Amino acid sequence: MLSNLLRPSHRPTQSTISPTHQFLLAPTPQQTSTFTTTSPTLAKGNRPRIDRRITLIRYHLHHPKTPRPLRFSRLRALRHWTIHRAAMLYRQQQRRTQELELERQYNAMRAACEELRIGVGDGGRLYRQAMVRKGIFGGKAQSEGGVLGGNGGVPIEYARAQTDGPPRKGWDEGWTRG
Amino acid sequence: MALPVYIIRPAARCLRTPRAHTQFLTQSFSTTLSRPDEASVETTSTTTTPAPPPPPPPKLDPNLITTRKEEHLLAATGRTPIGSRRRRAAIQSTSNIPFEQLPYQCFQEARKILAADREEKLVQIEEERKRIKKVQETPAERLGGEMSKKGKLVAMQKYLEDMKIWADINDPMVKKRFEDGMGDMNRPIYRHLADKKWRQYRRKIQLQRITQMHIVPDLLPHIDPVAEVTLAFGRHKIQPGAFVDSRISADPVRLTVQVFDKGPRLVSVVVLDADVPSPETDGFTTRCHFLAVNIPVTPTATSLPLAKFKEGGSQCILPWLPPFAQKGSPYHRLSVFVLQHRDGKPLDLDRVKCLGRDGFSMRAFLSQHKVVPVGVALFRSIWDEGTARVMEKAGIEGANIEFLRKKPEKLPYKKKDGARYRGYRKT
Repeated sequence: MLSNLLRPSHRPTQSTISPTHQFLLAPTPQQTSTFTTTSPTLAKGNRPRIDRRITLIRYHLHHPKTPRPLRFSRLRALRHWTIHRAAMLYRQQQRRTQELELERQYNAMRAACEELRIGVGDGGRLYRQAMVRKGIFGGKAQSEGGVLGGNGGVPIEYARAQTDGPPRKGWDEGWTRG
Repeated sequence: MALPVYIIRPAARCLRTPRAHTQFLTQSFSTTLSRPDEASVETTSTTTTPAPPPPPPPKLDPNLITTRKEEHLLAATGRTPIGSRRRRAAIQSTSNIPFEQLPYQCFQEARKILAADREEKLVQIEEERKRIKKVQETPAERLGGEMSKKGKLVAMQKYLEDMKIWADINDPMVKKRFEDGMGDMNRPIYRHLADKKWRQYRRKIQLQRITQMHIVPDLLPHIDPVAEVTLAFGRHKIQPGAFVDSRISADPVRLTVQVFDKGPRLVSVVVLDADVPSPETDGFTTRCHFLAVNIPVTPTATSLPLAKFKEGGSQCILPWLPPFAQKGSPYHRLSVFVLQHRDGKPLDLDRVKCLGRDGFSMRAFLSQHKVVPVGVALFRSIWDEGTARVMEKAGIEGANIEFLRKKPEKLPYKKKDGARYRGYRKT
């Protein structure tokens, strides 16, 4: 049975289980005969079926690796709450500053591009050149004789979508660029 | 190895002030004398004065005493000790540091962050106040009309109220005080917390009972309670929708009306029986058991004993009539409505005075007067052994009437001969 397979090896004995969890244990068969401790229903094989979810909850509740529940005194809980609130507040503040910084950077870039497009007075030539995206993922760096905007970065072919498993064809050893 | 201990100790000594230690010190100063010359001074002074001053009574703190003797001494002064002896002993032996000053580093750092945030919020509140004032002073034409200006002001006011709550919501002392029931309902944060707590459970129960027992839509088409109304007859607190013994409900009910928005307002209270049997129409009608208008209510003044509103008073229109259910009639739903006056204006008494008890219609009352239902409570009454006496005392007739169901008419089938049924022999 599945529940037998899932039974952890270091289960506490019944005596250590708190009375509050006793109801989760399998019900002891009621003794109806003086000769046998097995009730007729069990002997016939049609034993009462216990919901598998209940069994699993029972096993995991009493698993030694299950951490004990957090129990705090009142003031300790209040201190815990205070620290938690402060941590949440701090995180929120950090997120807010990051967002603001990103927004500021974006606005600055946009303003610079707008200036290039209109303010320079060359009919937008500089702007068009700045918008060229050729080779931005690869190619030699511009200083090493690459095209405009080349940065010697990661080739675009490597920018594949991340997957859970390996590709079907495996690693292509013989692959060379272009 | 002893050095670090020595370094840590003075700080701990500053924070902790063990009571037993100080007590020992004070006692040693007052009773024993360390130097013999002091003693001689003492003796000379006693010889000159005719009577020694009586020893001062021992200081008895009802929070700290633990022994039976001390308890008896305290009882002699007419006070009782607070809490259990175990609790008092625990308080005695623990350091008496206020919660905010508990020396936990992480906790103190957290408090610093929260305090800094609060300061920021206070500055923002001031700014928002200034902005509101500026908008108020600007003529409406420049803000796109009167409606636009009004809407803008409402939104800004709401933001300001929210800010006031956000400034305090992270304060552990506020939370603690609220949980202790010591919150000041004049402050927005405590009203907010109380409202949240009410909506979590008690309001849901209240709404469930109203809908289950069809107060909505029998008496009102709809209600959205925004004030908590609880009922009590004397000491008996009444759960929403509970059956109340007629002897208990003979005296006027005591309402507790807790509103969660600021300021005073005027309310009316209506107690309505929705299940008065009417044999003429073979149906049911309503009866007003109580009506009082122009009652001031604030977030702090919550108690509203209806016994206060006597007949002939300026506020009372219909005095308390004990709820009663005649024998055989199904249970009566007695609902208590708290109606808030619009714009805080009192109702015109002359218009209300003409209202009668029988056939009182809540819908008509709402449409004829400028009131909004803000709170509702419910209890039920049924014929019991005390009802007849209660009715007699209140001068209500009809205690001897018992309602019986009409026998259903026989179906027009011919009854078959009894002899055909098994085990039945016609003699």
